[in-house]
Amino acid sequence: MTGRGFLPALPALILLFVFFLFPVVRMLGFSLEGGTLDWYAKALGEQLYLRVFWNTFEIALLVTFFCLLLGYPLGFLMATTTPFWATVGFIFVLLPLWTSVLVRTYAWMVLLGRNGVFNRTLMEAGITTDPIPMLHNFTGVLIGMVHVLLPYMVLPIYGAVRKVDPAIPAAAAGLGASSFAIFRRIYLPLTLNGIFAGSVLVFVLSLGFFITPALLGGGRVMMIAVLIEQQVREALNWPFAAALSAVLLVFTFAVYAMAQRFTRSEAEAAR
Amino acid sequence: MDMKRLHRRHALSLLGGAAAVGATGSAFAQAEPPKPAQLVVNHSGGSMGTAMRKAFFNGFEKKYGIKVVETSPVDFGKLRAMVDSGNVEWDLTEIGGQDAIRAGKANLLEKIDTKVVDRSKYPATAQNPYVFASSVYTTIMGFRNDVFKNGSQPKSWADWWDVKKFPGARSMRNHPTDNLEFALIADGVPKDKLYPIDFDRAFKKLDQIKPHITVWWSTGQQPAQLLLDKEVVLATGWNGRFYDIIKKGAPVGIEWSEGALKQGSFAIPRGAKSPYWANKMLAELAIPQQQAVYASELGYPGLNLESLNFVDPKVKPFLPTAYLDQQFWISDEWYAENGTKAAELWNAWMLKKG
Repeated sequence: MTGRGFLPALPALILLFVFFLFPVVRMLGFSLEGGTLDWYAKALGEQLYLRVFWNTFEIALLVTFFCLLLGYPLGFLMATTTPFWATVGFIFVLLPLWTSVLVRTYAWMVLLGRNGVFNRTLMEAGITTDPIPMLHNFTGVLIGMVHVLLPYMVLPIYGAVRKVDPAIPAAAAGLGASSFAIFRRIYLPLTLNGIFAGSVLVFVLSLGFFITPALLGGGRVMMIAVLIEQQVREALNWPFAAALSAVLLVFTFAVYAMAQRFTRSEAEAAR
Repeated sequence: MDMKRLHRRHALSLLGGAAAVGATGSAFAQAEPPKPAQLVVNHSGGSMGTAMRKAFFNGFEKKYGIKVVETSPVDFGKLRAMVDSGNVEWDLTEIGGQDAIRAGKANLLEKIDTKVVDRSKYPATAQNPYVFASSVYTTIMGFRNDVFKNGSQPKSWADWWDVKKFPGARSMRNHPTDNLEFALIADGVPKDKLYPIDFDRAFKKLDQIKPHITVWWSTGQQPAQLLLDKEVVLATGWNGRFYDIIKKGAPVGIEWSEGALKQGSFAIPRGAKSPYWANKMLAELAIPQQQAVYASELGYPGLNLESLNFVDPKVKPFLPTAYLDQQFWISDEWYAENGTKAAELWNAWMLKKG
């Protein structure tokens, strides 16, 4: 029995080992080159790198928060509406996902600029007199990243809401529960897995973001991926780049573990 | 008078070229290594690739019957990985100036064969044994000429720092190179006394301009685009990018004073499959007439100083080699030693609030 279960998975396991596990181990090896922990001391000891790590987490958290805020209602709506509107919703969620991040980032530059579509419309309508700075700052990065990552939040939530047996909320409503109570006591606990999956996906993907902050942040918003790239390509300091990556990896796992413990206890409490 | 001399020179060099081809054809015919089916040249791509094909690659293919395969982008990390692993895919690669110096020292490059590549018409600074100087480019000021009319644009870095006299949003590169030098010049350091860079003085001066920089650009196309969209009215940038939009009619001008000159470089990775033919390609890149074709396309002239003689007079005002004495050379040697330190200080400075 176990043999039969294991064998079909072998190609995938080999693939994972060769293209994922092996490079990661190799990278960890790089970071310890010369048998010292000096590069880790530099990554964790110097203010510059700590600040950038902190910035990165701050941005990732904010992006996750806004994605959840926008993504939950959207995913919920798509899962509970008629098939026609669900299809329309899917098209709107998936089409951007198939477009290059670079293209979408440039599109935001056209929309958000000082003489961009938004600012011009606002000024011509007489709502504002001076252009509102929406591009080349923190706001621009947030808007761009939330847009790029939103599908990763919507899809797991959609899946989770679909799995809720419609008889349960119907029964609750029949017994006189308010719609808020139905959401709070039925949908929320039953879709927590979707929320968790979406949030972790968005959070982890945000941590490695590179193009969007570089182009929409006007150079002011620094994320750790930018510094790692600098070390790899410009400074050719691969041990240090590997140490920075390893620290990022450990932080990511820690957040993941914390989130999982949290959702598990929440789910148990709800039961 | 000038024209006549030009013609004579042209004719002479053509004759010389023909004689040289004849000589190599007979004397070295047997010594020549076998021709590979293809030669892989790695460069930055985009319009540069198009211009290189027009100016150099088509001619090379016709002359030797070797197909030129182009790859991009330029990646120092990849070069190191290739040489370290012994799997060198590139026969020839473009490489950043300071990277080239470091690569030469780190034994990542083949020496250039001076018997094949004639650099006698090159300035002495462009004769590094490992590095072929393919072109010159410069970081200069681009400005909106509908805002700064009739030559009222800033004409020095001191002017650039003077935000009262020259108001408006500005953009500079998100990188220490160029900006440290510009800050020192604005602070009164003479152009020939910039190195070694006084970090404290440079960053103190940069503090003054920081609030007025709307965008710190990171890709070469950004400053041109920012000027086009009027996101900013002043931007530092590479001359060829501004030349490109000016050619297309953009209301943008170039101020050449105190520009930061750099050389574009090509090198042969150690362990390249066809080093002899890579050298032959470099010889092609050194032909002044072909360099002139390339310069007219992109605004990046070659360092064979004879090439200016073959350029259309209308193009000449857009070439940095026409303004060499007003500008200064970035020291690749200094950055090869201090680049990492400079980058760290720069990042820390960017993170500082305010």
